[in-house]
Amino acid sequence: MADLKLAQQLSLKCVHCGFCLEVCPTYRATRSEVHSPRGRIAAVVSGALTSSGIETCVYCRKCEEACPSGVEFGEIMSAARRPSLEQIMVHRILEDPLRLYNAARLAKMGLPLQVARRVAQITPEPTLPPEYSDPDPELILFAGCIAPVFFTSTVLRALGFLRQRYRVRLINACCGLAHYAEGERERALTVAQRLGDAAQGKPIVSLPSNCSSHMKAFRQLGVEVEVYDFPEFVELMRLPLPKKQLGLTVHEPCHARLAGLNRYVHSALERMGVQVVEMADPTLECGAGGGYIFEQPELSDEIMEAKKKEVAATGCDTVVSTNFACSLALMRMGFTPIHLADLL
Amino acid sequence: MFIWNSCDVVVVDVRREVEEIVGARWVVEGEDAALFGFDAFTAVKGRPRLVALPADEEQTVRLIALLYRSCTPMVFRGSGTSLSGSTVALTGEEVVVSLTRLNRVYSCEGLEIEVGPGLANVLVTRHAPHDLFYAPDPSSYTVCSIGGNVSHDSGGIHVPKYGSTFNSVVKLRVALCDGSVEDVGGTPYFNGANIFVGSEGSLGAVLRATLRLHPRPETSRTVLGAFQDVASTARAVSAVYEEGVIPAAVEMMDRNSIDVVEKSRYKAGYPDCAALLLVECDGYTPQVEEEVRRVRLVFERLGGKVMVPENPAENSRLWLGRKGAFPAMGVVSPAYLTLDSIVPRTELASVLEEVGRIAERYGVMVANVFHAADGNLHPLIPYNPESPKSLENALRAGWEIVEASMKRGGVPSGEHGVGIEKARFMHQYYSQSELEVLWRIKRAFDPDRLLNPYKMLYENPPETGDRVVSLLYTKPWEAE
Repeated sequence: MADLKLAQQLSLKCVHCGFCLEVCPTYRATRSEVHSPRGRIAAVVSGALTSSGIETCVYCRKCEEACPSGVEFGEIMSAARRPSLEQIMVHRILEDPLRLYNAARLAKMGLPLQVARRVAQITPEPTLPPEYSDPDPELILFAGCIAPVFFTSTVLRALGFLRQRYRVRLINACCGLAHYAEGERERALTVAQRLGDAAQGKPIVSLPSNCSSHMKAFRQLGVEVEVYDFPEFVELMRLPLPKKQLGLTVHEPCHARLAGLNRYVHSALERMGVQVVEMADPTLECGAGGGYIFEQPELSDEIMEAKKKEVAATGCDTVVSTNFACSLALMRMGFTPIHLADLL
Repeated sequence: MFIWNSCDVVVVDVRREVEEIVGARWVVEGEDAALFGFDAFTAVKGRPRLVALPADEEQTVRLIALLYRSCTPMVFRGSGTSLSGSTVALTGEEVVVSLTRLNRVYSCEGLEIEVGPGLANVLVTRHAPHDLFYAPDPSSYTVCSIGGNVSHDSGGIHVPKYGSTFNSVVKLRVALCDGSVEDVGGTPYFNGANIFVGSEGSLGAVLRATLRLHPRPETSRTVLGAFQDVASTARAVSAVYEEGVIPAAVEMMDRNSIDVVEKSRYKAGYPDCAALLLVECDGYTPQVEEEVRRVRLVFERLGGKVMVPENPAENSRLWLGRKGAFPAMGVVSPAYLTLDSIVPRTELASVLEEVGRIAERYGVMVANVFHAADGNLHPLIPYNPESPKSLENALRAGWEIVEASMKRGGVPSGEHGVGIEKARFMHQYYSQSELEVLWRIKRAFDPDRLLNPYKMLYENPPETGDRVVSLLYTKPWEAE
């Protein structure tokens, strides 16, 4: 139980001031300590890992920003959690988009599993993940796990855009964020190493921004990769962008925000002349959280309800979302999510 | 408002009946109930027998009546940010009634806004018209809830000009132990709302609060004064008033608290000094400019180095450092105590000197960061939660600071509530006949003493077997 020890050690920094409560999406939905960061930390400290709150954490890590004492809450959750069989199964499926494609098709056919029913409800029709590589590629386009199957056209657009200037290899794979968040830490490391090997030292341009954020932290796991979030790459390279006459709002994915990536989305949209109607709080959690949207239907629906109001208040139907799990949630709320790449 | 009935009805299965009222999802028991057993007072943790989270006023009223009828002690709880431990379930018999779900804004008209007790303080202003704001702003304003603010008479940095929560409560809707609901306040006579402000859940539950809003000041400027000795810093506080300035806020930070903040994520880049004052002047622009000029003169006359932030970013950085000082203690130690006794402004220098001597005697570090204009001390005393001796030293040092304040004509608690932290001082501060009056009020609302037992007023110390609890409840003259 070395991991629990680590979690408890990290928890000692908490002075239970409660500053984390009102930024936590599950606390906001339930108003209950059980589903709050402070409550979860108390459960970890007392060793009560069966507390239902440990499972209900979305792993958005917004509490870390609110914490004045610098508690590393994400690490605490990751170290304290024990993945369920169902979670391990979901992780294995996410590791291989082809597997995800087949699983999604089974789910759409009515596989009698609770998680499958939820997948069928939430996801659009799956498409066979595209494969592509230029000879002697100089750049990796990392599409993640969800995009190649459910947002294929976005992947192809991004690929086409980058190919105008670079020799590109497309990689459809998992970054391991879901594993790490749900306590499969060793497997997360394996997945990271595998990705590092596949990149062969080439720079990675990553489409899903929460994955970008996670991969940027690979160094802490001992894996060296050079990663840019797609909009970040577009902005740093000052790649030419088309002008667009559009009005839309921007959702700021949680982990992308932690890594400071959302500003590149804004600057790219500004260069394109797009009219952005800001939400009162664009960082409000969307309720997707990787596998969360499938595993915690009730709570994720409640979180989505709050997000839906926030988006609706802008009067926009189109929402820029650079993270595809978030896009699934936004679709469920009835909006039209688009990635920056869709505008190219 | 008088309550005649007493708990005499036998309720066979309290848990089942609670569940019938609030629904199974909103009952928390077992290990999870312990997550509601503590607040921001780090020294004592309890474990409630059960937690119920009613959805609305109607459920809350039924719940309270049921619990009272069945002789079940109860604690009302909001965001759980009390610094005096007033929401801790001390004995393990208590049912915690969480009012967090009662967080609606009911109406906003003129200078008044009507809100539920579970609403976070910061959201009151956010729901008010743009030209108005809600003045009381405890450091925990982003999360502390209005019910708790009312029950503790919470203050914050703007007390010097706008008063504490007491001055912002117009009316209250309260739930009483017999299941009745009363709308109190709003009158210049027999104002029932006043009794509930600062009552720490010992008389009933706040269901709704009508709060007073203030017009937003046209301008707000900050003046920072950095001094090379504590005595001049303390002197400067009164001198500001003598210049005819009514500041919106006057905060003082000593070297220890500055060091802590600079080590935390609230790093503000404060000047190197023995102590500093942060003064905020607000109102009409010409008046504010004149006030800033006068405050600057006062500080310079007393040997202070003056800094007036020129842009909003710099301004908010200086204040974030102050606002983060409490929780930033986490970088020094995972646990700390903080008391909130008050001294007359003229006694600030002398009491701070005494605080230094007390800290030395107990071998503890004391960081002073407080509301200087109202003489409201906040000695932050870190301790090692693994070491009972360290906690005991921190407690004793804190008590001596409170006693030193009382000796100088001060009061034991300014804004954090009495709770369990300062219950021992009630007997020291109030005379027997004054206590009798408080007990008469308490008995009128809570004849069976089931509402937040052992907080503020108690007859015999609770028997919990916890050494810290028995220390806390030892009357000063009985100690040693």
